[in-house]
Formats: sequence, C-alpha cells, structure tokens
Amino acid sequence: MFDPVVLAQILWTGLATSSYLVLFTIAFALVLKVVKLWNFAQAGLMAIAFYAMFAAVNQFQWPTILAVAFGLLLTLAASLAFEIYGLRTLRARRTSSLMFFIFTLVCSEFAAYSLTFIFGTEPAPLFAQILSPVHILAGIAVSDWDLLAVAVTLVLAIGLALYFRLAREGQFMVAVADNAELAELYGINAKRAFEAAFAIASVFICAGMYLYGARTAVIPTTSLQLMLFAVIATLLGGMGNVFGAAFAAVALSLVQSYSVLVIPSRWQGLIVYVFLFITILFFPRGVNTSAWARRLRARRAPVG
Amino acid sequence: MNAVLTLEGLCKSFGGIVVADHITLELERGHILGLIGPNGAGKTSLFNLISGVVPPDAGDIRLNGVSILARPLYQRARMGIARTWQQMRLFHTMTVLENMVVAPREYVAESMLNLVFKPRALRHADEIACEQAMRILERMHLAQCADSLVMDIPFGQQKLVGLARALMNDGPCLLLDEPMAGVEGQAYDTIKAVVRQEAAAGRAVCVVEHNISFIKDLCTSAVFMSFGAILERGSVADLLASKSLTELYFGA
Amino acid sequence: MDYFYSILILIGIYVVLASSFNLIIGNAGLVSIAHPIFFALGAYTAGLAAIYFGLHAIVATLAGGVVAALFSLMMSLPSLRVSGDYLMITSIGFQLGLLQVIKNVEFTGSQGGLSNIPTPVTGPYRGLVYSVVSLAVAATVVWIIRWIVRGPYGRAITAMRDDELAFLALGRDAMRIKIVIFAVGCGLAGIAGGLYAFYYQYVSPEQFEILASAAMLTMVVVGGMGSTLGPVVGAVLLIALPQAITFLELPPAIMAPLQGMLFTLLVIVFVFIRPQGLISPEGPTPLPGHRQVNRGGPR
Repeated sequence: MFDPVVLAQILWTGLATSSYLVLFTIAFALVLKVVKLWNFAQAGLMAIAFYAMFAAVNQFQWPTILAVAFGLLLTLAASLAFEIYGLRTLRARRTSSLMFFIFTLVCSEFAAYSLTFIFGTEPAPLFAQILSPVHILAGIAVSDWDLLAVAVTLVLAIGLALYFRLAREGQFMVAVADNAELAELYGINAKRAFEAAFAIASVFICAGMYLYGARTAVIPTTSLQLMLFAVIATLLGGMGNVFGAAFAAVALSLVQSYSVLVIPSRWQGLIVYVFLFITILFFPRGVNTSAWARRLRARRAPVG
Repeated sequence: MNAVLTLEGLCKSFGGIVVADHITLELERGHILGLIGPNGAGKTSLFNLISGVVPPDAGDIRLNGVSILARPLYQRARMGIARTWQQMRLFHTMTVLENMVVAPREYVAESMLNLVFKPRALRHADEIACEQAMRILERMHLAQCADSLVMDIPFGQQKLVGLARALMNDGPCLLLDEPMAGVEGQAYDTIKAVVRQEAAAGRAVCVVEHNISFIKDLCTSAVFMSFGAILERGSVADLLASKSLTELYFGA
Repeated sequence: MDYFYSILILIGIYVVLASSFNLIIGNAGLVSIAHPIFFALGAYTAGLAAIYFGLHAIVATLAGGVVAALFSLMMSLPSLRVSGDYLMITSIGFQLGLLQVIKNVEFTGSQGGLSNIPTPVTGPYRGLVYSVVSLAVAATVVWIIRWIVRGPYGRAITAMRDDELAFLALGRDAMRIKIVIFAVGCGLAGIAGGLYAFYYQYVSPEQFEILASAAMLTMVVVGGMGSTLGPVVGAVLLIALPQAITFLELPPAIMAPLQGMLFTLLVIVFVFIRPQGLISPEGPTPLPGHRQVNRGGPR
C-alpha cells in the first residue's frame, strides 16, 4: 500500500489534479486582493466558461482552439459586465457588504439556473473522449492531460508573476491593491485596475474549466463546489497573497489525493468541508507564508 | 496616589510603523491631560491601545492598580473607560436618545434571558437610562433634538452627541479624541464646560486636540508626542514655551 | 381544497423561515446563507425522533428547534470569533457539507430521503388542522420576533449593526448578542422544519439545496430587510407567485430552474431598483415619554 511507486504516482496525479484548482484559486484570490471583494459570482463565471466551450464543441462542432476562444470571450464579457454594470453601481452607492455578498452569490445562482434551463442537469464532459493517451515514465503513468494541465498552470502563474513585476499595468494593479485611494491620488485609475483584475481572472477561470471539463463531467452546480475549494485555499494562503493561496491550493489538493489511502471514497467529497473547518478553527488568519519567508531571510542574514 | 490609569512601557507597531514607543503615562483623578503632537504621532493609536481596540506588543495598562491587558474592549468599557471617536461613530439609523440609552455601563437587556424573565427590571432600567440620558442632553443643550435621527442634525451637534453618549458611562476614566475638530460657537463653549465639570466631579480625563487654546484653557498638564514617543511632558505653558516643540508641531 | 390547504401550510412554514432569516441577516446584519440547513436539521430531527423514539409531534418539533439551535453554535462560535466575513464562508461550507453527510449516512435515508414519518392528525380535517397550526405558529413567530426587535434588545441589535466598534466601546458584548440571535433564528427555522416533516411525512436532502437558500433570500430582500412585516409579505408573494406557473403544467425539469431563475432575478432587480424592499423597517418602539420617529427607508 505504501509502495514508493504508488506514492510517487499519487504525487504526480495529485499535482496534475491541483492544476485547475490552482487556477481557480488564483482567480479568486486576485479579485479579493485587488477589488477587495469576495467574488462569489466566480462560480457563475466558471459555469458560463464551461458551457460556452461545451456548446461550441458539441453543438456547433467547432475546433478546440475556436471553442476555447469563444469560451474566453463570453467569460470576459460576462465578468466585465458584472464589474462595470453591477459592482460599480453598487460601489457608487456605498452599498453594505451584506448586499455585495447577496449580489455576487445570487449572480452565480442565476447563471447556474439559466444554464440548467438550457442544458439540463445531465452531467456532461467537454469532449466525448475523456481519457487521454498515457505514457509510463519510471513506472509512473503520465497522461497527456497531466502534462497539458501542469504546463498551462505554470505558464499562466509565471505570466501573472511577471506581469506584476515588469508590466506598468501590473505594478499599478499592485498599488491599487495596497491602497486604492492613495493610488488614485498618484494618478492611477483604480477602475481600470479592477477591470484588468476581472479580465485576468477570466483567463484563469476559462483555462481551469477547460482542464476540468476535458477530464470530468460537469453539471451547472459543479462550479460552486470548485469555487468553495478556491475560497478555502485563499483563506489558508492568507488573504491578499495570491501566490500563497496558489501554494495552499496545491497543498490541499495533495492532502486530498493522499487521503485516498486512508479514507473511503464515498467520504472523499467531505474532505473539502473538513479543511474549511480546520482552517477556520486553527488558521483563522491563514498560514502566514510571507512572515515565514521574512523570518527565514532574517535567519540567513549574517548577524551584526 | 491619585493615578486612575497607568500606562507602563506600552509599545505597538504596525508593519514597520511605530505608533507607540515605550509610552509611560499616568492619568490622575480630577485632572485633564492634553495629548498634543503632529498628525500620525500616535495619539489616537494610544487611545485604541487603552480602550482595547488593538492589543499592545509590550507593556502594561492598569486601571486603579489592576492590569486590564487581558480584558477585551467591551469589558474595559464596563470597568469605566469611556471614550469618544474622532469620526464620532454614532448609530446613524437611531435617534439621539436611542444612541444614549444603549450606552450605560450595565445594560440589562443585553441578555435575552433577562428579556424573558425580568421584564420589570428591564422597564425600570430603560426608565433610569432615559432619565440619565435626558439629564446629560439638557446639560449639553441637546434636549430639543432628543427624538431626531442623528443623521438629521448638524455636524456640531452630532459631535456633542458623541460626547454625551460617552458620558452615559460614569466610569473613572474619560478619553476624548479631538472633541473640538469642526466645532464652533455655542457647541464649543458647551463642550469646554462639560469637560471641566466632569474633571471636577473626579474623573481622569485625557484629550487629544489640535486646538491649542482649548488645551491651554482646560488642561492641567500636557504631553507632546511624535512618531509614537513622548518627547516632553509638563505644564501646558512650559510645553508651548519650548521652542523645539513648537517648531516640530507647526513645521516652522 | 387540499391544494388550497397545502399552499396555506407552505405559506405558514415559509413565513417562519423568512422571518427568522430576516432576524439574522436583516436585523443583526449577520451574513449567512445556511438557513435551509437548519430547516433540514429541524425536519430530520423531528422525523427521526417520531420514527425511532415515538416522540409526540409537538415534542419532536420542539426538539427539532433545539437541535437546529445547537448546531448553529457549531457554525457561529468558531467563525464569529474571527470576523463577520468568516460566517458567510462557513455558512456556504456548512450548508453543502452537512447535506453531503445527510446524503451519505444510512439512518437519514441517504439520497432517497426519510419517509414514513407518522402523522399526528388523520381524517378528513387533516388539511384544515395543519393549516390552522401552521398559520398560528407563523403568527406567533412573527409576534416573538417583533417583540425582540422592537424592545431594548432590538435597540442594541440596531446599534450593533450600525457601528460594531462603537457598540463594543460602550461596553456591549456584541459577540454574545450575535451568537444568541443566530441561535434563536436557526432554532425557529428548526421548528419550521418540524412542521414540514409532519405535514409531508417525507423529507429528502434536495429540498434543502441552494435553491432553498435563494428562495429565502428572495423573500427577505423583496419583502424588506430589517422590517418585521417585510418577510411575511415576501413569503406570501413568493409562495403564491410560482403557483401561477404550476398551472402551465411544465415538466419538473423545466419548472425547477425556471423558479430558480425567477427568484434570483428578483433579488438582482431589487438590489438595484429598491434595495430596501417592499416594506421599510419600522425601528424600535419609542422610549417612555417620547414620540414615534419617522425613519423613512435606509438612505
């Protein structure tokens, strides 16, 4: 049972499986960091992304590239409309956080019901064929999907990190995230930064739903559970720390993968909620990764 | 010893910013202490430390000789530390009188059990709070707007309500955060008179204020703060005579 | 006639649910969507108590309320310790997680639901008796809530919702008030669950999914958050309104999402067009010797 090859296999598959969870978490944590909003509408955006691609592939018979582009386009449109016509109006009215919460969550539910109305509740994967070719490397099964998932996640995450570091717009976004009012005093347009955050989140959401849908069947409410995972990882990673949240997502996903060894499969679905309660009980302010990093650096620095 | 509240070596920093740097201070019965210094000197932060909004990194706070460090915000208020806020923080959907009657140190209706089992005690407490509130409002010439919503009365009067609400707490210690900012005319005189009366009644009062003439008129002694540290202390006249301080303060 | 009674009973149950939910989110400003799960806890507790222990319906219903209130502590104690934001997140997790448990354990009847709950009333007047009981409970609950929020306790809740920090600095224990209000609200939802279980004699997990959250949220937002009569109006409207569609005899696969779309769309429209809902809050009763103040709506 604890054969090293099995453990390595679980590690690899777990890492690959964490890919889409990382993408969803980054999207959620990014919006929280920049817009200061618990964006529960993300589940709705995720559902829209999936069903747009699903319709393009299965109803219109479009090639995959075109389908993904279509999904991205619709998700972008939906998230920008949500920000510009929804959130901005509420912000101008100084609406209470309770109303923001209700609005974001209800938008998700509205999307889920509309999609149920159109597509029904029959679970459907993106493609008819959900098994991808498998290679055996040193006794470990590595599928094409695994490779694609890991590659896409790495490219997008590194791209975002570079965008924060190098691009002017990215630096503006960080400034707005730190203090929107101060940033506006320095002539940075906070509205544009908010829009950019939603646009980037859309890319991550779409990529994540593509990966998820290519391997698993989806129903309109699937995205709610996936989003809950992202919320927990965001809490654990420490709010306002996008990459900390991403690492938390990987860690949680690996724990979940290894738990297969000890927890019967019918209870697997509950693990996310157990994580949630452990987080709230024991790490209410997240695992402070940046403080650890600071302490490590301090220790390494020569004394005196 | 007349010390009501004692601060000893109080330290606090947020990130890299030091807002309290080994603050040692005593508030005495019947005295009014002025807290002056430039913006960002840590005056309001000191109030937040005393009242328990934020915990200090180090040091001790004692009320009548007993450490209150472990007590949360609401318990410190019940022990008699009353405070006002720079931005007033009134309950904006409620009337002036309603703002007042939720503010006594003991509030019987806070427990739902009392609501069910002690309706008479509750009604009695309501009446007493109401009378006390009306007395304070009359003292501050606010009785005529007791039934107005706080968001409907002018700013100067809202400021008075903020002070009046804090006076519902008849504890030994009163912390006033910029009671004069934006206030003029009759309200100004009222606040001055009321603060003086409270001290005369034996309370230890501490005032953060930029209005120097107010400090001069009222305070028995003062403390000058900058970057979280106390630079100098003494009588108001001494402090104002100190050239280095006036330069620092007024940015000459 | 039975159809008419069933609507009356449903209205009674949902008036209890919407009013108690409003106490939590509207009056106390606590953000939670998990109200249906406390409804479920009450229904399952009452049903199981009647089936396995032969408890009388009234006792079993009260037990449902107590169990729901106790479970609410599991949610409120750890999350309110940190901040209000956490309650909304735990509420989503609690709702979905507990439903998973109910669907997976045997004694609740798993996916298939809990059936064969004994009925305390039989005979031709069953519908009539249940309608009267359900409406009487609803009226009592509304009266209790009105009594809570319009007295000195209500003044404290309003102050807490307006400015929690200032409220704490006056010496008020906001945490205790929040936990008590949350437990009372959830307990009342549990009692609604008991009513439900004994009328339908059957409880299944999918009745308490997110659709139920959306329905209750809609009743409160449309009716008027923070007003005592608002949720009553909201509940009556939103139970009666979808009945109009049932006459179209659409298949359930279309009906359910259509209802969901209707509910959620109504919330979105109200958030933008009329955030205070149909009925504005009344505010506490005037203090002895003082006059009633016209508060208008929230500004």
